[in-house]
Amino acid sequence: MFKRSSVFLGLVLALATLLAACGSSTSTPAAPAADATAAPAAAPAAEKVTLKVLVHQNPPMVEFMNTFNEQFQAKHPNITVDMAVVNASDLSTVTQTRLTANDVDVVDMFGFSNAAQPYMKNVTPPNWQTLIDAGLLMDISDQPFIKNYDEAAIKDAGSYNGKVYQINLGRVSYSGIYYNKDLFAANNVAVPTTWSELVAACATFKAANIPCMTAGGKDGWPIFVGAYGLIGAEYPDQSKLVEGLWTGSITWNDAKSLDMWAKMKTYAQDMMEQGASGIAGDAAPGRFASGAVAMFPGGTWYASAIDAAQPSFKWGYIPFPGSDNADDNKYLFGKYDQGWAVAAKTANKDAAMQYLSDFSDPANYQAFANAVGFIPTQPGATLSSPIGTEVAPYLANFRVGYEQYWVAPKGAGEFANPFASYYKPFGTFDEPQAVADKVQADLQSGLDANK
Amino acid sequence: MNNYHFGRGRARLAPYLLLLPGFFFYLVIMLGPSIATGVYSFTDASGIQGTTLHWIGLENYREFLFLGQASIDNYGALFRTLVFSFFVTTIQFSLGLGLALLVNQRLKGINVFRTIFFMPVILGAVIQGLIWSLFLYPLGGPLASILGMFGMRSEFLGGQPNEAIAWVIFVQIWANLGVTMMIFIAGLQTIPEDLYEGAQIDGASRWQVFRNITWPMLTPSVNTNLLLNIIGSLQAWQLFLVLIGYRNGTQVLGYLIFAQGFGQASGSVTSAFRQGYAAAASIVLFCLVLGIGLPVQYFLQRREKRVLG
Repeated sequence: MFKRSSVFLGLVLALATLLAACGSSTSTPAAPAADATAAPAAAPAAEKVTLKVLVHQNPPMVEFMNTFNEQFQAKHPNITVDMAVVNASDLSTVTQTRLTANDVDVVDMFGFSNAAQPYMKNVTPPNWQTLIDAGLLMDISDQPFIKNYDEAAIKDAGSYNGKVYQINLGRVSYSGIYYNKDLFAANNVAVPTTWSELVAACATFKAANIPCMTAGGKDGWPIFVGAYGLIGAEYPDQSKLVEGLWTGSITWNDAKSLDMWAKMKTYAQDMMEQGASGIAGDAAPGRFASGAVAMFPGGTWYASAIDAAQPSFKWGYIPFPGSDNADDNKYLFGKYDQGWAVAAKTANKDAAMQYLSDFSDPANYQAFANAVGFIPTQPGATLSSPIGTEVAPYLANFRVGYEQYWVAPKGAGEFANPFASYYKPFGTFDEPQAVADKVQADLQSGLDANK
Repeated sequence: MNNYHFGRGRARLAPYLLLLPGFFFYLVIMLGPSIATGVYSFTDASGIQGTTLHWIGLENYREFLFLGQASIDNYGALFRTLVFSFFVTTIQFSLGLGLALLVNQRLKGINVFRTIFFMPVILGAVIQGLIWSLFLYPLGGPLASILGMFGMRSEFLGGQPNEAIAWVIFVQIWANLGVTMMIFIAGLQTIPEDLYEGAQIDGASRWQVFRNITWPMLTPSVNTNLLLNIIGSLQAWQLFLVLIGYRNGTQVLGYLIFAQGFGQASGSVTSAFRQGYAAAASIVLFCLVLGIGLPVQYFLQRREKRVLG
């Protein structure tokens, strides 16, 4: 009797567990739907909407967005903004996951780049293109706020197959150097305009026991991002550079490139402070603002973080002088940064469009550009922030950088990119010729594999 | 006479019904995704819902194993995986056994030491990574300061690939040593005390006691630990992500799969997701784990039968 009872009890428990497991998987997603349906019944005149927004971590931008969201909610009391913040490196993964799960309305996307060109064979399309092809991003071509932005920015950074899917909010330069004005003055160093002057400046600082440059090397890319100026000094037209590399008219071990590799060795081994590989990307502005280091090669987006770390700190920003001809060093290379796109399957289209429309209002956009330090993509906006003042003289020479065009051929080795971090102490190489040959061999291997 | 445990008639279905919930979860969480991974490895899946899946046959495998320098780099990752697994398994196993022998003594306060040695296990990979990133911070971190006293310096995790991997091996062992130790302690506590008393009466030395009693009687724990260490280290990737990130010359297969599947391979935020290719790499890793795990398990089971009967 007892045995039968325990068998029965066991069966009931097992079935209960199974049902509970099935039940729990359906009850969780059902909760928001219940809220959503309950709201209109209570207030049919102004439907309560929760607008889910996804942005990447950039402290001044997040701070601005929090304020903007408060104002937006006050203006539209039926809309609640639920904003999630993720690290830049996780943005594409989270965007894909949440778009697929129909769990987001407005997403922050970097400007469209890395599109496959006619001369590229057998390459994987970039993620943004796949999202559009999958029908996950909304066509916003007919929205009136599109007209608030530069035609070029809409075309280059937000359009695909003649339709607009993103409003891009600003350009950033990453081929410049922040310099510490007080340290330069105290050591009688003039702001360098040529490579030789930069080398001499670093020698002066090193002699004074002051590290010349720092970077957030723990995140990988910041250790070489400043050196994009070295590539730019040799190859000012970087779309042509990418085409040349694909078609074989340019190689990473030709005479011109070898000069670049020799300079990268100096950059990695003599200019960058030892220990930079341990500094996290978001800690590097603080390290520079502490006044311990003379220069900080990096993007314009760091300016707000430097000011926030040390408001009284005096800094300037110059294009990386990669050439001994000052005229070659007048370019700023960069990319289209953050933009807004809307989920195609959003149930809150009106609220999402209202959000983008309010954001695109010229007065709001100007405040955004001031807060974040982006080079504006609205024609009426001006550069009134300190970084805006610094880059203003070079804006006519702004160019989209190499990494925004580059798509590696399948089969190319892991060294098929021009990074200064291949040199010791960050990597294993010591000789420019060896690096140049390895990088070209890794690239050529991919090009040959796709013939 | 039928002595069937659950009774007769329909009651005989009971064990199968009781197994259903577990089987259901196994199907949904383990078997289903595993089969799906195998299927995806023959497609150009990006992981984005709505994209058209194309059946591309063995193309992902051809690319992973034979296409250009990238395939040679993949073999490099495979070699690093084996090296990583060898060092983690041997060191973690030996240290775990040593620690278990030490803390299995009847001493006052010994539980405090057991807790201390086990504590890293309860921290997640992110916390473990954060702790060691701070400890190994090259600009004035604790270890950098100690090295500085001797006029030495190092980039630690950001330095040359071999040095960075060595640090990940160290952290992996630190993070998982507690589990190995606990399994050995459990094994040690099942050894009958009278065996030791008999050996003591016979005048056996400590080494003889360990060699002829402790070690053979620990066979089940040895087998469990060896298999767990080998399989766990072959599949490791989280600490590589947290401590090093995607850097040339440091990837192991597990991290390579993550990086390819989720667009982190080039370090660019705009990279493509290649989940079909990553699935093929997963199957290669699965074959590697199977190729090493099965013979090891066969050898260990034979040894267990020989030793314990």
